[in-house]
Amino acid sequence: MDATGLVAIGAGLAVGLAAIGTGLAQGRIGSAGVGAVAEKRELLGLVILLIAIPETMVILGFAVAAMVLLLGGGLGG
Amino acid sequence: MKLKMTRLQILGLKTHLVPVVRTLHRLDCVQIDDIAEAEGLSARPLHLDRDMVQAQEELGYLVARVEGLLSTLGADRVEPGALRVALAADEIASTECAGEARAALDTLGPQIQALVSRREALAAEQASLPRYESTLRRLLPIVPPTARDPANLSIGVLVSRIHLSVLDSVAERVLNLTGGRAEIVAEDVDAVTRAMLIVVPRDFAAEVEVLLGREDISRLRLPAGFADQPPDAAVAALHRRIAAIPSELVEIEAELTRRAAEWRPRLTWWRACLRNQLEEFAILTHFGETDQTFVLVGWTPERDAARLQKALAEAVGDSVVVQSQPLTHASALAKRAPVALANPAPARPFQSLVQLLALPRYEGIDPTLLMAIFLPIFFGMILGDVGYGALLLLLCLYWLRRSRQVGTSRDLVWVLAMGSVWSIVFGFLYGEVFGTLGEHLGLHAIWLDRSSADQVAGLLLFTVAVGAAHVTLGLVLGVWEAARERSKHLLLERGGMLVGLIGLFLIVSVAVKWLPAGFMTPGVAVLIVGIALLGASLGWLGVLMGPIEFIGLVGNILSYLRIAAIGLASVYLARVANDLAGSLGNIVVGVVVAVLIHALNFALGAFSPTIHSLRLHYVEFFRKFYEGGGRPFEPFKSQVTSGE
Repeated sequence: MDATGLVAIGAGLAVGLAAIGTGLAQGRIGSAGVGAVAEKRELLGLVILLIAIPETMVILGFAVAAMVLLLGGGLGG
Repeated sequence: MKLKMTRLQILGLKTHLVPVVRTLHRLDCVQIDDIAEAEGLSARPLHLDRDMVQAQEELGYLVARVEGLLSTLGADRVEPGALRVALAADEIASTECAGEARAALDTLGPQIQALVSRREALAAEQASLPRYESTLRRLLPIVPPTARDPANLSIGVLVSRIHLSVLDSVAERVLNLTGGRAEIVAEDVDAVTRAMLIVVPRDFAAEVEVLLGREDISRLRLPAGFADQPPDAAVAALHRRIAAIPSELVEIEAELTRRAAEWRPRLTWWRACLRNQLEEFAILTHFGETDQTFVLVGWTPERDAARLQKALAEAVGDSVVVQSQPLTHASALAKRAPVALANPAPARPFQSLVQLLALPRYEGIDPTLLMAIFLPIFFGMILGDVGYGALLLLLCLYWLRRSRQVGTSRDLVWVLAMGSVWSIVFGFLYGEVFGTLGEHLGLHAIWLDRSSADQVAGLLLFTVAVGAAHVTLGLVLGVWEAARERSKHLLLERGGMLVGLIGLFLIVSVAVKWLPAGFMTPGVAVLIVGIALLGASLGWLGVLMGPIEFIGLVGNILSYLRIAAIGLASVYLARVANDLAGSLGNIVVGVVVAVLIHALNFALGAFSPTIHSLRLHYVEFFRKFYEGGGRPFEPFKSQVTSGE
């Protein structure tokens, strides 16, 4: 496998693993949040905010993937 | 923006209590606080006397009767706004709605009840008579001729087929009882029931009844009017009755519909009017009193204070005193003031989004205008497609034109419509129409081609720059807010972040050679000072937490990369749709596949940018300066005037 392939795998792992982490966190927060909203409707905004917080992980994963691709020449291939 | 509030204290003689309450109710601009929560007042809570309590109970009973009648007439969902059209002006002006409603209910109520009862009886007949008819019809072929003799009585009985032996026993005993003068026939009615017809001379009727009762056998009892006839005559009468029921039902429905159309406007008006009077009683529990006077405390927008004074003067002259107390920033009163958002019309739909998180405090910043500026731009930057944007705009405009729904749903559609306009703008800048179709139509990127690999870096840098600017704006507002609040802690925290960020900008500018290398040392120094200030706001843990908090701030800026990330996902999905459709070799299949994938992309493109733009505001932007927890302004409002 040439370097470009490894770069692509690295970028994929960076986004994919971060997305798994985000998904696990959002799943737990989401289920608790829906329960909270069912009890108290006015918590909806706060729950959306809490669910959105772990997304930062996948965005950071995306940033790392973009850096890997840009610096490693993965996009040029 | 928020309406400026004034604290009110209204005092007057108890003799003027009713006109004052009516005036406040009609004005719809005063929020009345519970006197028990007011500080510095020696008045006791107002106590309703016996007559008032009785009047309140009567009103409640009348409202229940009016609502019951409206519900019976199927007219309880009428919009109060239609009242002006349906009622004459003198009826609207009438304040004697309780008396009018009571008089009308006393005559109309029994009439409607009679119609409804008749309808229910007919419906019951319609359900039961066919069963009698079918049972009798089965027996008709075997009915003996003696059944038509007026001297005889026909008695029908029904027995489950698993108890057929009972029938034989009963038949034998009836024959013994009558000395063989009875005739008995039987026939299956359905799969589980067998019917038997006993024809006996009327002299033996009572004894046969006793025998059947003793054996616990259920009689086939025809409804009144059919029971004393021979079976064939009863069947004919049942048939005629069944045929007549639908037309009677139609007549009753038509009469009810006519009554509903005739009385609906008045009933709806009385309901609103009576509820108003009940509300006026209910609000009195918030008032205070002395032996001769009443007092109330509340809030009104500054702009309405003069109108309120004038209206009260017109209603009761100068025997009521209105004391207004304007609020100063960060005063104890300002902390308790209710909040009424009042933004320009284009920004108003965003108020719902701000309130979805929390209503701003009275003395805090209302971020609605800022959200109205930035959120549609972020949405447009993410979707950035002329085709999707135009389609979304058309759908939004169509919905807004056709739907009469109000509230958060309508606000959200307005927000989407504004975002779709920016999406069209960025679509031209990116050169995208349904993804890469723009190229085939001769549309080229004016500024940045997102589908081009060598321009991705520029897109990422742009979104980070947008994030840096947005977060910095939030911090500037936060510092200003902290200074206004005179909060040393917040000033250190937000100021430290802002200073550290400036240091970071200097370092990055040197790194990318926008600034000479000489700025590196000052940049590092400013960054360290900023982190130190941030750490100082966190106490002794600040040594550790300061740098971590600052890294979190950098994470906030990087979070804006989602604008590029989600936009790129949309671009590539559209590209997949176009390329896949082109490679299938069949134009019909290709178009179907392309439409399906574009539809999916469009649905994601309407939903995802909204959620992520919201998140960028709620998490990254608002947290730098915004503190919710405001109390909504809820004026004492008349249902009648507000409904029109």
